[in-house]
Amino acid sequence: MTRITLGGAVLRGTVSTALVVSLSASALGAPPVDLSKWSPEYVRSIAGTQDFDTAADCGKVTPLDYKGRLTFWYQGVFEGDPDLLRQYYKEFFETFRKTYPNIQLEEQALTYNDLLDKFRTALLGNAAPMAVRLQILGGTEFAAKGYLQPLKPEDVGYSTEDFWPGAMKAVTWDGVTYGIPTNNETMAFIWNADIFKRAGLDPDKAPATWDDVVKYSKQIHDKLGISGYGLVARKNAGNTPYRFMPQLWAYGGGVFDEATANPTYKEVELNSPQSKAALQASYNMYVRDKSVPVSALTNQQADNQPLFLAGQLGMMVSHPSDYNVMLDLQKKATGTDKDKAQTVIDNMRYGLIPTGPDGKRAVVFGGSNIHILKPEYVEGGKVDEPAAKAIICMWTSPEWSLKMAYAGSNPGNLNGFKTKWMKERLDSIKFLDVTTSMLPYGIPFPALPQSPEIMNIIVPDMLQNALTGAMTVDQAADDAAEKVKSLVEGKL
Amino acid sequence: MTIVTGKAEARRRLQSGWSGVLWKMWEHRADYAYVLPAIAVMLIVIAYPIYYTIELSFFKTPPGLQLRDKIYVGFDNYTNILTSPVFWKVTWNTMIWTLASTFISFVLGFGSALALHRDFIGRGVLRAILIIPWVISAVAASYIWKWIYHSDFGVIGAVLVGLGWADRPPNFIDNVSTVLPSLIVVNIWREFPFAMIMMMAGLQTVPEQLLSAAKVDGASAWQRFWHVTFPHLSSVSTVTILLLAVANFNSFIIPWIMTGGGPSNASHIWITHIYELAFGRQLWGVASAYSVLLFLILMTLGYFYVRALSGNERKEGRA
Repeated sequence: MTRITLGGAVLRGTVSTALVVSLSASALGAPPVDLSKWSPEYVRSIAGTQDFDTAADCGKVTPLDYKGRLTFWYQGVFEGDPDLLRQYYKEFFETFRKTYPNIQLEEQALTYNDLLDKFRTALLGNAAPMAVRLQILGGTEFAAKGYLQPLKPEDVGYSTEDFWPGAMKAVTWDGVTYGIPTNNETMAFIWNADIFKRAGLDPDKAPATWDDVVKYSKQIHDKLGISGYGLVARKNAGNTPYRFMPQLWAYGGGVFDEATANPTYKEVELNSPQSKAALQASYNMYVRDKSVPVSALTNQQADNQPLFLAGQLGMMVSHPSDYNVMLDLQKKATGTDKDKAQTVIDNMRYGLIPTGPDGKRAVVFGGSNIHILKPEYVEGGKVDEPAAKAIICMWTSPEWSLKMAYAGSNPGNLNGFKTKWMKERLDSIKFLDVTTSMLPYGIPFPALPQSPEIMNIIVPDMLQNALTGAMTVDQAADDAAEKVKSLVEGKL
Repeated sequence: MTIVTGKAEARRRLQSGWSGVLWKMWEHRADYAYVLPAIAVMLIVIAYPIYYTIELSFFKTPPGLQLRDKIYVGFDNYTNILTSPVFWKVTWNTMIWTLASTFISFVLGFGSALALHRDFIGRGVLRAILIIPWVISAVAASYIWKWIYHSDFGVIGAVLVGLGWADRPPNFIDNVSTVLPSLIVVNIWREFPFAMIMMMAGLQTVPEQLLSAAKVDGASAWQRFWHVTFPHLSSVSTVTILLLAVANFNSFIIPWIMTGGGPSNASHIWITHIYELAFGRQLWGVASAYSVLLFLILMTLGYFYVRALSGNERKEGRA
């Protein structure tokens, strides 16, 4: 049933080349996997080739009989995640408590959209947890403000080379490393082959470019009366930049020069002709063609999932886990809805995210990082470092960094690709290799303390201003560029 | 002949002027002792945050700096706010939101109270049903209404399309023109039962014999309402309107959950905007300046509220 439109020598060549360009920003020491050979086949070839004993490895960092107390906040599962992930999160904390029975763990899960606000508030009252797992976007802000302790992979028994170079950028501020990546993700393009067929499109071929997405979306809407592409433009929601930035970068635009190999973040490019072309593409789908969900301005990807499952949406950008989410949702359906949902699942296809007009392909290099706070910002004024390192060692281990990203993401620790669970995952999680193939095209968000505001507020505002007609495309882009400039220059 | 002792003279002197105030305070020392804990708590949880908010409003707080490293900017935050087009847009939204929500909620609540004041079969059940919007969680109500309004597969849209009255679901909350009225409808739905309860309580105080006397004198139903019922309800109406106005000025949950202030700031009201400035954009100084302005407005409303309450007490005292 997997009719993925990748494979072939051309793709592999492109993938390998792009990988070297985009991820070799820092000198690679001796990575556990050979990134220059990266391809779905290579990932398959290394899966299940090495065993790891997590308890023994972490016991070297923090003795297993260590007695202590740890407060820990983490970005947990949310409504758009599959049940499988919930099970692994539950299993992780159970295992940690068994492995370290004398550490009193007080963990708190927060959703992506709530975590930053609550964490900032807690910091202002010196009531933060001792350790925190934050979205990739947040680390730089808190490191720049001096809230985080220096923390590098070596501190918990691993090597910096065990992690993606691009991910390490997001935990580095002013030359110092302040955290460790737990998982790294790149999304893929998903479409419904049945809808494509009924709309007169090739059911086994994803749109090659974003201009094709606009064209296909219109064709699907005009012929079938349903939404073509699952646009997301809600403010204060991580889903929006994760879906718009790949489009922006593919057209050759950007907020700054973050899509280049060595970004400087000096010049604002949000109002460049390329950036405006990307915004125009969204405008064309929402306003001109009306081929995307009207609710795009207030919805999130979790709202697109049921639309897709109901056969009311032709295309979207998302994780491999969306396949598992569809299976979960289908199980809850009843009567004819169940059969309809099954038809959609049978026709679900994954492919690489489309390119821009010049063949540029891009995706957000996402994920999460784990950090230790400085004692003065923690409730009680003390941080139990050995306890914090124990949980960090476990979460970033090859075993758990893979399991905690089982359906939706990739392990932050590259050794995770060598584990037996990776092999099992490749066999059980459909379309995984498509998103793994997108990793080389991953572009991290600008490593600036202002990034959360830029990505969660300014960029969605720009989209909303253009899509509601409050401003023209040019005005919206200029307005957003001016806001970024003011923010970075500290005028506000 | 009055014999004035030295002790009594001393007491008389103390009771006059400034020292008299002190004497009275001394005489009521036990009362002050009783309220002291409450005053202490208020100083900690109200006075200090107000002071800190006012102080913070004179500082800039860039995202790369901790709050303790804030930069003094004088009145810049106030100047920036008052010259910002977003401020005027948000203020206009807040005015529409507050006035429309307050007025319509009050009228609906008053009307419902008058209807439910009469005795009829099923009155208790109807009263219980009408109170439901007010007692359910605002968060839950917001999510439910978000689905009812959903621009692609909302309940209203599905019904209208199903009945053939519309080609496609109407766009309630993804449109800059319709989003605010749509949210106001939800707010009214949620808070008119409060006005209803207040007015029902007020109606219990209208003397039945006055209404009967007016009826005997030939007054019509409208005349009885206008000349007997309504004047008796003026105090409770003022208090209800002021409480609704303050609550609406402070509204957060419905607009934040349903639209986050969007699209394109079309449903941002003061509180949601302040929240976004502080917690989303970390502009604590600007958010504090907004809060100070809002505080002044609410204090003004609070003044009228207290005056209305005092007026009630005076009237009741006279009666």
